[in-house]
Amino acid sequence: MADLHFESALAHRIAPDTTSISIREISERGMIDLRGNTADKKFMSAAKSALGVELPKAPRTSTTFGDVQVLWLSTDQWLILTGRARVTALLGDLRKSLGTIFSLAVDVSDMRSIIRLEGDGVRETLMKGSTLDLISEDYAPGTVRRMRFAEIAALLHVVEQNMIDIYVFRSYADYAWEFLMKAARKGSEVKLFPNS
Amino acid sequence: MITVNCPVCGAEGDETDFHYGGQAHVRRPATTDAANVTDEEQRDYLFIRHNPKGLHFERWRCDRGCGKWFHAARDTVSLDFKAYYGITELPPDEIIAQAKGPWADYFKERMKAKK
Repeated sequence: MADLHFESALAHRIAPDTTSISIREISERGMIDLRGNTADKKFMSAAKSALGVELPKAPRTSTTFGDVQVLWLSTDQWLILTGRARVTALLGDLRKSLGTIFSLAVDVSDMRSIIRLEGDGVRETLMKGSTLDLISEDYAPGTVRRMRFAEIAALLHVVEQNMIDIYVFRSYADYAWEFLMKAARKGSEVKLFPNS
Repeated sequence: MITVNCPVCGAEGDETDFHYGGQAHVRRPATTDAANVTDEEQRDYLFIRHNPKGLHFERWRCDRGCGKWFHAARDTVSLDFKAYYGITELPPDEIIAQAKGPWADYFKERMKAKK
């Protein structure tokens, strides 16, 4: 059997210089999908001991501890991010710590592609494909939510005020990339508050 | 376009971020008496839906958000949401008081069972 190796869905893509914001793929992040009952104290503490950080309970939030980042996806679901090379070890720790507790932890590193958008006007660019009010105070740095973006399912993570990560399923990565290239084309910037 | 708020995760979005799940609190006759279900009852359960002008109880799913189902009471004239409540819960008392048709009977029974 040939050795399995990771290849990005966007590996052949080079960000052109025709966009008004910086768009690039982040392929070095590995992901673990974790599900469990928030009300189960044993589960929460087992997850904390393996990850080093408490699972966020508040909707649409995220926590970070060193290389480990935990994104809230639902009341019983989290996405754990870490370096791609560390995933296997972290997943082993997590499973060992969770033991027989009713829960699920799976390596989903190759499930989604991450596209990082950076620069002035990222929010306005994303709003071309979404009905959400991304410039409202709800979307402060650290906010995570799943959304409908350009008619496909996407996960939004506001990293900094002008830096947003978009997670799309791998099979949609090419389409999302094409959409962003068009939406962010130079000269097509939308100024929502031109006088501010 | 109507704006929906998810009571589970608090996310706000328009209806394309959510999924309408049909009339809420529809009773399945076989759940209460599986041995004696008439054809009419089964037909009503499967196909007959209430279509009032005014207060309507319905199910929604936070489709692109947290993925959870929830209940909502909505006015079909103004399209205003009057209340959101959990998928296993009953609406607030003041909304129950306004309920008509099959929902009024359903809530009455549920309240009785609660006591």
